[in-house]
Amino acid sequence: MLKHETTTQLFFNSKQSTIIHIDLNSCFATIEQQANPHLRGKPIAVAAYTTPSGCIVAPSIEAKRYGIKTGMRVKDGKVLYPDLIILPPDPWKYRNVHLALRKLLADYTYDVTPKSIDEFVLDFRNFSGSPMHEKARDIKRRIREEIGEWLTVSIGIAPNRFLAKLASSLHKPDGLDEINKDNFLNCYSKLKLTDLPYIKIRNAIRLNNMGIYTVTDFYQAPLWKLKAAFESINGYYWFMRIRGWEIDNVVFGRRSYGNSYALPKALSTPEELSPILSKLVTKMSARLRRAGYKARGIHLAISYRDGSFWHKGVTLESVIFDTRDIYKKAFKILHGFSQVKPVRDIAVSCFNLIKSSETQLELFEDVVKKEKLVSSIDKINERWGDFIITPARMIAVSDAVPDRIAFGGVKELEEFTLT
Amino acid sequence: MVGRISTPVSVSLSFDGKSKRVFPKWLVWNGRLYPIVKIGLHHTYRSGRTLFHVFSVASKSLFFRLVFNTDNLHWRLEEISDGMPS
Repeated sequence: MLKHETTTQLFFNSKQSTIIHIDLNSCFATIEQQANPHLRGKPIAVAAYTTPSGCIVAPSIEAKRYGIKTGMRVKDGKVLYPDLIILPPDPWKYRNVHLALRKLLADYTYDVTPKSIDEFVLDFRNFSGSPMHEKARDIKRRIREEIGEWLTVSIGIAPNRFLAKLASSLHKPDGLDEINKDNFLNCYSKLKLTDLPYIKIRNAIRLNNMGIYTVTDFYQAPLWKLKAAFESINGYYWFMRIRGWEIDNVVFGRRSYGNSYALPKALSTPEELSPILSKLVTKMSARLRRAGYKARGIHLAISYRDGSFWHKGVTLESVIFDTRDIYKKAFKILHGFSQVKPVRDIAVSCFNLIKSSETQLELFEDVVKKEKLVSSIDKINERWGDFIITPARMIAVSDAVPDRIAFGGVKELEEFTLT
Repeated sequence: MVGRISTPVSVSLSFDGKSKRVFPKWLVWNGRLYPIVKIGLHHTYRSGRTLFHVFSVASKSLFFRLVFNTDNLHWRLEEISDGMPS
């Protein structure tokens, strides 16, 4: 042990564990089973669409036992378990549980960071009190008693965020594990490289190319080797992470707003796609304005049914905020550059965000008047519900682009409150 | 099997002043009374300025999604399920 510590020249962080990572097991499916007691103990799955080609976004713990995984098609899930119960997503249910969890966790520390709809990090660096394992068990008990008896969480404890997340994945569901200076080598020896968070096939290949095949190899690798493997500052970050030093205590601000839609039927031409684009832009621009921003850039991305991908971003001379202006710019990109072939997914986003208070007057247009008009439309939509006043071209797509929760991030949750 | 509907429904709601808990006690649907034996989840959402309370509840054999509109104080039944595959 001493030998490799010397060669790596940085010891594993010896401080006590102060980070707790909480992961709500099979989040959407478990919440559906909490809501409907008749579904408990059964293989169920929440799918983006309940049709045979719909994508499963959350299988229940029972469904996972039959090999049903996130990302599978509904029809493939039913091959593995014919009586699989498929449910559509109910985003408000999940947002309510997320907010209830956030409120409960705030009783333990002010330093609670939601990492996604079903993951939270609690930092106890500046706290004393009960031992970490005791806190973790108390959190599990209170979630069952105060939010829902069917909800289970896996909890990881470690000196840094990365290892706490890794610890939370060691036993699912309802796990409680700690990785620290005393047991890290034992933990590493039981894991594959791809068991580590953020290490998927491509990163594993990078490491393999440098002769790193196991997590223990990864830990023992000197800094120069990791720098060479990742060819960037990431090599240093990994060197620190795997030794239990904190490198991930960073919250990135919002840099763009976007909406996307998977088309249930193949549309090809800009004219066919324009109603969908209009609805995406209407939704995105309302969110942009509600958050108090304007934008100086538009980006459009299209995945085609033949597997190809196209995208283009345009930086604008002036800031835009009006749905009509954003649509015109987005349609111009679509019309001018995209290829005419069947589309699978379309995504629009705006970037180069600027705070709304900074109004830039224009020579030929009354920007203040336009701001007042747009603000009035937004107020009507907020009072009576989204899409009460919409562009006429959206009429044909009233059911398209349903409410969804983004995977991976919780920035959209900044836009929701329950009061 | 899950059935999605949207129909007005009669619901009895109780408030316990001591525990400060609110819970639906029974509902009448299609002329039949269903005592509620379990509240799975209570959540809320807004459509425009209107606040809706959603009670996901179960009788002995069925699941019901009951939605309470706080503007007009009306109840709607939006989903029924027996917990079996379609």
